[in-house]
Amino acid sequence: MIPGLEALALPLLLVALAVAVLAADLVVPWRAIEPSGGERRGLGALVAAGLLGALAATWWLPADVVAVGGAYIQDGFSLYMQRIVLAAGVLATLGSIDHVDTRFPGRQGEYYLMLLSSLVGMTVLAGARELILLVVAFELMGIPLYVLAAMQKRQAAGVEGALKLYLTGAASSVVMLYGLSFIFGITGTTSLTIIAQGLQAGAFQDPLLVLGLLLTLAGMGFKVGAVPFHMWVPDTYQGAPTPFVAFLSVAPKAAGFAAMIRLFVEGMGGMRDAWWPPVLVIGLATMLVGNVFAINQDNVKRLLAWSGIAHIGLLLIGFGLATVESLGILLFYLAAYVFTNMGAFLVAEVVGRDGDDSLVAWRGLARRHPGLGLAMLLFLLSLGGIPFAAGFWAKILLFWSFWQAGMGFIVLLGAVLAVLALFYYLRVGRSMFIDRSEAPAPKVGLPMSIAIGLCLAGVLGMGVYPRPFIELAMAAAAGLLGG
Amino acid sequence: MNELLANGPGLGAWLSLAGLLFCIGTYGLLTRKNLVAVLCSLELMANAVNINLVAFSRFHGDELGQVFALFSIALTVAEVAVGLAIIILVYRQRQGIEIHELTDLRG
Repeated sequence: MIPGLEALALPLLLVALAVAVLAADLVVPWRAIEPSGGERRGLGALVAAGLLGALAATWWLPADVVAVGGAYIQDGFSLYMQRIVLAAGVLATLGSIDHVDTRFPGRQGEYYLMLLSSLVGMTVLAGARELILLVVAFELMGIPLYVLAAMQKRQAAGVEGALKLYLTGAASSVVMLYGLSFIFGITGTTSLTIIAQGLQAGAFQDPLLVLGLLLTLAGMGFKVGAVPFHMWVPDTYQGAPTPFVAFLSVAPKAAGFAAMIRLFVEGMGGMRDAWWPPVLVIGLATMLVGNVFAINQDNVKRLLAWSGIAHIGLLLIGFGLATVESLGILLFYLAAYVFTNMGAFLVAEVVGRDGDDSLVAWRGLARRHPGLGLAMLLFLLSLGGIPFAAGFWAKILLFWSFWQAGMGFIVLLGAVLAVLALFYYLRVGRSMFIDRSEAPAPKVGLPMSIAIGLCLAGVLGMGVYPRPFIELAMAAAAGLLGG
Repeated sequence: MNELLANGPGLGAWLSLAGLLFCIGTYGLLTRKNLVAVLCSLELMANAVNINLVAFSRFHGDELGQVFALFSIALTVAEVAVGLAIIILVYRQRQGIEIHELTDLRG
């Protein structure tokens, strides 16, 4: 057996699952253009069960093992990030089953295969401590996302959104590669551990290294949707299949932050003076732009897209602080964000099933389907940071870490923006609870009910009893910084 | 041949060439209206990366940079293949691949 193979068990498990899905896709009859009675839905069930199994397996996997000469490490931090992306994968798959079976029944296999490929990239990315592996995992995560965004290939909006995602994505990965080529060139190594040791010893003082660092930061900023690389976000979210958007809005963000923490904090922590000011500026700009543009949105998917950009701004500042506390809270925030944001998008999928994502479709939802209305209200309040939802603890703790770092002005700005955010979140709430509509109640299929139920459980669980989750996140961050 | 390599252009020259190529690619990316031309510009930028990597590799005297460049080439190919597929979808819908036609989504 190849030494260190056990460290790669999780990505290999996902590859095996992808092969199984590919094989099942060939075996199951596929000619049906009509929604299938059940046999095609089995594909989605297989993927959901497999991902759930992989998620459960993370608790039995060995921690602190390395593979391929230290290029990949399976430590507490990678396991934490892998759990986040796998949870997002499970929720997205459950939410997709009805959608893909009605929209493109013949191409379900492709859809799940791409989802799994992207997940393989994300799980590897969480543990990548080597530049080449980092780049390969980054692309393995990104390229399937372009395909998934273009899944509704007969709809003009879908294709346009996918093209915008593709062009920004491809351009930014080239910029990132260009930056990494300088980092490799100056340090002469691709190992982040050796780079960190060299910086500690005071080596590699070169302006080209700073240039490389900033180019890499710009390239990675795209993946998380930071200003000024955010223009694709609302357009892609509007045009792409909603259950996939739920996934796109959290999983690549979490994996992107994992890569940024590995590269900038773990590897280039010695150069924080060079990358912290731009991260702060980008973070503040992202917060502002996201919140301001969200105010006037009548399309709920676009509203959630802009609000997501605003959240990323906060997270970027937390990432830039790079202390054990701020990174731990960042990790907790990401977990809370998975359940909250995916829940909101999954409800948006149910409500906007006929293709109308505007607020009109949400009128009177609380009367037409009280459960769905209440669930969405909870997700919105959690996004807005109202007590006893997961988002409250995430936001308040992040503000607390800003305060600890002596950045009171960001806390103040954040508080003002949080009030602004409540205003636009509650516009959706008003539509659901006060406006009336004669439209029939939306139908929620069984897998979708399970997915929304899981999101609700996550938001409430982390909101009412956040302590174990915060401790888990803190331990992951502490392990990374050796604290 | 070895003499040419020893006395050939130095690292700075190669980096400048790559930088120039990268800037030309960026300019093309921002100004070209035809989507295929945009992809070509991306390709120029990607090749700037490869020149950088190979030049650094030779400067350090090991093959790591060349390995990196090979991976970079493969990744770019995969990326461009998906890009061309998306451009075909655009063409089927609009009978054209001019970038300024894509303005349905706004706000």
